Amino acid sequence: MTSLDEARSLLREFPVVDGHNDLPWQLREQVRYDLAARDIAVRQDDHLHTDIPRLRAGGVGAQYWSVYVRSDLPGAVPATLEQVDCVRQLIESHPADLRAALTAADMEAARAEGRIASLMGAEGGHSIDNSLGTLRALHELGVRYMTLTHNDNNDWADSATDEPKVGGLSAFGHEVVREMNRLGMLVDLSHVAATTMRAALDTTSAPVIFSHSSARAVCDHPRNIPDDVLERLPANGGMAMVTFVPKFVLQAAVDWTLAADDNMRAHGLHHLDTSPEAMKIHHAFEERNPRPIATVSTVADHLDHMREVAGIDHLGIGGDYDGTAFTPDGLDDVSGYPNLLAELLDRGWSKADLAKLTWQNAVRVLGAAEDVARGLQATRAPSNATIESLDGDA
Amino acid sequence: MADLQPDMPRTTEVGELDGLPDAPFPEQPGQPEPHTPAGVLLDQARALLAAHPVADGYSGLPWALRHLPRYDLELGEAAIDTDMPRMREGHVGALFWSLHPPEGPGGDRATVGTLEQLDHVRSVIESHPEGLRLVRTAGQVIDARNCGRISVVLGPAHATALDDSLGVLRILRALGLRVLTLTGTAWAGERGLTRFGEEVVREMNRLGVLADVSGAPAATAERVFTLSKTPVLCSRSAARALRPHPANLPDELLAALGAARGLCMVPLIAEQTGPTVQDVADHLDHVRDVAGPQSVGLSGTYDSGAVHPRDLADASRYPHLIAELLRRGWSEADLALLTWGNVQRVLRSADFAARAAQHRRDTSPTRITELDAL
Repeated sequence: MTSLDEARSLLREFPVVDGHNDLPWQLREQVRYDLAARDIAVRQDDHLHTDIPRLRAGGVGAQYWSVYVRSDLPGAVPATLEQVDCVRQLIESHPADLRAALTAADMEAARAEGRIASLMGAEGGHSIDNSLGTLRALHELGVRYMTLTHNDNNDWADSATDEPKVGGLSAFGHEVVREMNRLGMLVDLSHVAATTMRAALDTTSAPVIFSHSSARAVCDHPRNIPDDVLERLPANGGMAMVTFVPKFVLQAAVDWTLAADDNMRAHGLHHLDTSPEAMKIHHAFEERNPRPIATVSTVADHLDHMREVAGIDHLGIGGDYDGTAFTPDGLDDVSGYPNLLAELLDRGWSKADLAKLTWQNAVRVLGAAEDVARGLQATRAPSNATIESLDGDA
Repeated sequence: MADLQPDMPRTTEVGELDGLPDAPFPEQPGQPEPHTPAGVLLDQARALLAAHPVADGYSGLPWALRHLPRYDLELGEAAIDTDMPRMREGHVGALFWSLHPPEGPGGDRATVGTLEQLDHVRSVIESHPEGLRLVRTAGQVIDARNCGRISVVLGPAHATALDDSLGVLRILRALGLRVLTLTGTAWAGERGLTRFGEEVVREMNRLGVLADVSGAPAATAERVFTLSKTPVLCSRSAARALRPHPANLPDELLAALGAARGLCMVPLIAEQTGPTVQDVADHLDHVRDVAGPQSVGLSGTYDSGAVHPRDLADASRYPHLIAELLRRGWSEADLALLTWGNVQRVLRSADFAARAAQHRRDTSPTRITELDAL
């Protein structure tokens, strides 16, 4: 039996829980939520990384669908609700393949039925507009993690990719973490500054997750996790879900992206500009400088390192499919997970290790957050704190 | 004085909505009502309300509670107009809890404001499990009543909460919303409904969210009466023929509402009805005459900041209003519709229409920009 066959057979028993997938955002941007125009019951290779046939081929058993919205547009809350509505529609219209999951028990039930447990995660604290009532509404709607920031700071937490402002978490930021603990919503530390990671770990009483982040010691990018933070995961009980995004995991790709951005700025353009003129300049750059390609092995290097530092009980997978333009060779879309498992088998990972990586850790972490929430709810009332009351008007 | 005993409603006779006696108060014009002592009428009113409690179309309690540092609705609260003892005394069986922010529709933060209200309402209900129960359907109202709980129906909320998105409407429905007031947006403004506004009404029908057109221009109200597959509410409207307040309904609209079997819920707001119990009764008489007994209801509007007519100062006072209507010769059947039956019918009809529509119609993917040129 080849490693790939063995990986597939492993995945049948312990399928992948993926921490982050941006299909809802693609459905918004590509077809304005006209789900009939992107029927995920059939392959959508030309438009998406994700559809049900490829999720099945990839051995995915649970997916945290991201209900991401951009932080630079007004109306983040209604836009987030639309994303939630989109996920609800996806689940409702594919009852044989998707099952709504709110708890660890739901995830196990979905696995037993052979359906894909569908959970939701909000990507960025801007999605609650400084309102704990809105945070609770998102929990009520089934959102089970919130990334504290996206690429920009918000009023109460610093992002990894923005200038330091509050120095981690503000007083209100700490209160958001406590309220998430009380609700049983996982605190997601992908995208946040290292100061924010440490501040959140100081305050949280439940396990945290990194829904899609890799190791900074392997590839020095602010989106990745420093070793001192990885080292705290065993005591916290949480997990880091390795991401595949080439410009975060491959040093050559990080450097190439920086050079490409500089090139755009040198031409007087914003580095995220995708106008035809900007794309022409970018393509010319790419002609001269071929884009470095990440591979399955690149991602496995991160996992090997994260395992050394955090331990096998604190690892998971968060591919960020449909949230990234490029993907590594062999992990081109959501059907690629078996290739990663085969690589890890070849590197000597045991079946028990792989079962933890793909399924068991993620289910344990959600269940632990539920336990903490039950305990807190017995002693703590819903928080009525406001950002004005805790952080002042500064 | 005539022996009133044969005319007294016995609660055992009137415990059910179905099978109401056709004429529990035989028509005897001119007598004995003018001679009935007030205390006897009040007893009759209480007995009647015990069988047909008040379904109050608009309560501002959630907002009032947000400004109290602590409260116990079970024991009673002097700072507000509504608490459990007074609701029991007033025979309140169900309340629509307004999600309208008092400072107006809410601008950019209308969605957040509404989510916060929903969250707050949920925590108030959870902390009073002996008294209150959150209900989503007409059937659950009956269950709650059988358990001795007061039903809380969520709404009305402002249309601005939708942020022009049907997806947000569906989410608010998933969070329990049952009534939406169709005013103050680009698609339901002074000039009536746009094409997207009509799509909102169709999606509301599919979801079982009742349309409230109190305060909406006549053009909106008329269009919604025609378009909606299920009866429409006016959550806070009295008769304009008696008092020229902009939220009060002119006779043409009252007649149209009656023809569509909708519900005009007369508010206990002195500004809209006049300052006395008799003034409120005049409005109820008028609405019943013009729209019909199946189209008249009550909105306490307590704790909403309104000034109430004398003798109707809080939620315990409904028997005084019902006594006045008894004095005026309202039949038990009409009173039962006024206090309870009409709201039950409208909620049940919306539930039924939603189930029917869901077989016919998929989730609407429509965006405002597709239908309305901006």
